[in-house]
Amino acid sequence: MSYTVYNKNVVVGVLAALFLALALQLVNLQVLQRSRYLAHSNQNRMRRLRLEAPRGILYDRNGVILVENRPSYSVSAVPSETKNNPQVLNLLGQLLSEPGEKLCERLSEAGNPYLAVKLKRNVEYPLLVRLEERKLDLPGVTYEVETRRVYPTGIKAPHLFGYIGEISKAELERRRKEGLIPGDLVGKTGLEKMYDQDLRGRPGYDFIEVDVIGREVRDIIDVGESQPLRGKDFYLTIDARLQMLGDSLLYGKRGAIVMMDCRDGGVLAICSKPDYDPEIFTGTLSNETWKALVNDPGKPLFDRVTQSTYPPGSTFKMVAVAAALDENKCSPGYTVSCHGGITIGGSTFNCWYGAGHGGLNMMDALKVSCNTYFYQLGLLIGVDAWATAAKQLGFGRRTGIDLPSEEPGVLPDRDYLDRVFGVKGWSNGMMLNLAIGQGDLLVTPLQMARFAMMIANRGWCYRPHMVHKLYDPARHQYYKQQIARESAAITARSFEVIHEGMYRVVNAVGGTGRASRLEEVQVCGKTGTAQNPHGEPHAWFVGFAPAQNPEVALCVLLENAGGGGANSAPLAGMMFKRYFAHQKMPAIKKTAPDSQTIALR
Amino acid sequence: MLIPELKRAKLDRVILICVLLFCLFSLLAVYSATHSSESPAIRENFNKQMIWIGAGLVVFYLVARIPPVVFYSSCYSLYAILVFMLLIMDVFGIIAGGSRRWFEIAGIRIQPSEFMKPVLVMTLAHFLSVETHSPNRLRYLLIVFGLALAPFALVIQQPDLGTSLVYLAVLIPMLYWRGIDPFIIFVLAAPAVTFFASFNLISFFIVILLITAVLYLSGRRKSVFIGVFLVNIAVGLLSPVMWNRLHAYQQQRVLTFLGLVSDPQGTGYQIIQSKVAIGSGGLLGKGLLHGTQTQLRFLPAQHTDFIFSVLAEEWGLLGSLAVLLTFFIFLQRTIKIASSANHRFASLLCIGLMSMLAFQIIVNIGMTMGVAPVAGVPLPYISYGGSAMLTNMLVAGMICNVANQ
Repeated sequence: MSYTVYNKNVVVGVLAALFLALALQLVNLQVLQRSRYLAHSNQNRMRRLRLEAPRGILYDRNGVILVENRPSYSVSAVPSETKNNPQVLNLLGQLLSEPGEKLCERLSEAGNPYLAVKLKRNVEYPLLVRLEERKLDLPGVTYEVETRRVYPTGIKAPHLFGYIGEISKAELERRRKEGLIPGDLVGKTGLEKMYDQDLRGRPGYDFIEVDVIGREVRDIIDVGESQPLRGKDFYLTIDARLQMLGDSLLYGKRGAIVMMDCRDGGVLAICSKPDYDPEIFTGTLSNETWKALVNDPGKPLFDRVTQSTYPPGSTFKMVAVAAALDENKCSPGYTVSCHGGITIGGSTFNCWYGAGHGGLNMMDALKVSCNTYFYQLGLLIGVDAWATAAKQLGFGRRTGIDLPSEEPGVLPDRDYLDRVFGVKGWSNGMMLNLAIGQGDLLVTPLQMARFAMMIANRGWCYRPHMVHKLYDPARHQYYKQQIARESAAITARSFEVIHEGMYRVVNAVGGTGRASRLEEVQVCGKTGTAQNPHGEPHAWFVGFAPAQNPEVALCVLLENAGGGGANSAPLAGMMFKRYFAHQKMPAIKKTAPDSQTIALR
Repeated sequence: MLIPELKRAKLDRVILICVLLFCLFSLLAVYSATHSSESPAIRENFNKQMIWIGAGLVVFYLVARIPPVVFYSSCYSLYAILVFMLLIMDVFGIIAGGSRRWFEIAGIRIQPSEFMKPVLVMTLAHFLSVETHSPNRLRYLLIVFGLALAPFALVIQQPDLGTSLVYLAVLIPMLYWRGIDPFIIFVLAAPAVTFFASFNLISFFIVILLITAVLYLSGRRKSVFIGVFLVNIAVGLLSPVMWNRLHAYQQQRVLTFLGLVSDPQGTGYQIIQSKVAIGSGGLLGKGLLHGTQTQLRFLPAQHTDFIFSVLAEEWGLLGSLAVLLTFFIFLQRTIKIASSANHRFASLLCIGLMSMLAFQIIVNIGMTMGVAPVAGVPLPYISYGGSAMLTNMLVAGMICNVANQ
């Protein structure tokens, strides 16, 4: 044909080349790179849901539930679907009454953008209904049931149990290896913090198929889902009845009571007042509430049992006795005549009893808590012997109780005094104050209770501890903690004298601790009235009972309450009375038999 | 008015079978892409597509019976009417998806730019079929370009980059078919290459070097040599200015395509999801209605621009190669019909229609696989869309018509 000026094959060739290129790219995507794209498509459609594990339950030593879980609703959002969607963020912000930017910030912190991040906990049911109504406008927003800590006995003991709260950024960084994610609840203080890893259990995972806006289409099975494993249950050494009594005895006061079983070191009651309601930390804590707590002059955040230190006053006089007898500085019959004080180097040191106690031996000096006697005794034994004995009895270091942030207190020894006053800056005269538990000496009530336990046992004790045993739901087994036995290198003879003195404090006519005397059981104790720069003296009482074969030891401290004999001793008496009353009554509930218990740890 | 006598319809077998296969592919893919949607309007699209295919087949049959002289004589007036419609689009058109390309008449949306595609091809074929209108003469070449650039300019500002590019894409094959000097094609194509190369100094330098070499080897006059050389230099220098005149989203698309930006949330997201759909389909596919990317709606525009991804995900490599093969057979048959046509107009018409379809097929499928930009070009015969379906059926009818002579 005349008009044919083209080459048909050129056009077909170009076309074929282009189609071949398309076919090759098809092969490339669908054969060579298939697995990569298949993985991506699965990642698109599959959403991994974390099933929260219920936190372990805390029981008292008789199986009474102290802390358990109750369901509460929380709202979460999947970052990949909500972070860059201002409409969703604004609507959600309105409903949750939080600014959208703040939500966006929280979503941005997530490691895996496909895993939902919690935005608000303890959501009220009406809000949940409103969220459900706007479900279509809120793609990627989910809500789940999670557990909240509740305290069925009413004992909130925040310093003991602690509280749980959202993990902080710093802690998240530290514990990312444990699989924790933003919004997770972790123990912040107390036992919740101490045993967080055991209490929290292991989350389970479920896989669902979602569409492009994050709505669940169906459940996917057999892709590696797992059930959550609830946390371990803890059986505490606490006796709920004694804890409750202790809390009520301290009502409206500032102080601490700690009572321990001196046969095994288990803490029966550990009370610190003022305290706070740990439930204010569930949900989101407002800044004002937090500020009010921190600035409260009563310092409710402090655990007075383990974290506050005080001069021990006369309750420390037993240390001087132990030191004197152990080092053979004198005999129990060593007698000093008290005329209301002594004068040394031109300064007068007064006895609390201005009229003077007259002649006293060691036991009677304890009974009436004569300062003059202990001034003399202190001078006699010297700093080194005294500090050695105090160290042996557990002062100047932490007891090692399983509660966080325990304070070691201050035990002035030669090194300490050299450091503070200079090598030549102090003299043996320091002992005048130290022997009566004043001066630079600082102790925690827990150390004092351990001290009472040490005396009760005549030189040994188990480390104070909170956990009796724990139950591992994964293995269906109980585990008992192995508690270290600690002893003081002080002769038993010294303790006999101390026992006798402490017996007289409570039971003899003229003893300072008469207010703790009981008809049914012989109580031994020692009062203390510790001078301090903050006002009225601190009222102390340490003691144990029964006098023969002691079972329990305790320490009562009331801050700035005045005399120990008048204020603390009666509380101690009530604690002892309740303890021995219970010994005659069956416990409320027995736990599983001990035969299943395996000693471990 | 002369009513031309309708011919006896003798449809080309290959074209007919291909068209029927396309209809089948389209129905299956559009159903799969829409049936799981929550929006009734989207689900309704399957029924609409059935109607459009039915109407399209009628158009196909009727057009195949119209004598070519009708196309030949009516194309200039149709061209004028459509240009007029595109001109008044700014006033009467309705906006959807951020661009103004439709008229709404009695509830049906009509897209004149879609009908412009075959009409432009007819017009160009008419003009070039005149014996004296040699494309090697500047005057006629300018007229040919003018005919294509008028609708191009009107449509690109709607904005509709994909459709407007189709108008330009038919030019070179038709000019080649008419016997244009390949050197002119080189002169025309060089600035486009220079434009892309100019974003990088080294590639710009290499391209200019290559152009100079071709110019030298072609042995043309000095004035031509210098002229072409200077034009390319100018394009290279001016392209940043031209670039800044593009819409931001168009720039974004080109950049994403060129791999210069990666934006998994925006333009890149569509390509990623489409590649995931295609790649995860594998050899045999996930099965009809079982493609997770499609059914869970991760795939964007799945019943329109990304319909091929639906097929590839659910039917796998075998299915998508079958679709490609059907397209190739259809186009190859059209070239054969063009080359055996007994009239230059019919021959040019066929090759223009072939180019129009081929460009859309290659750009659309290439886009779904991430080897062509997201230009908004639908897949002929398969994508959902009434105007496009009618136009493409009209095109198939014209091809059969030529084959019937």
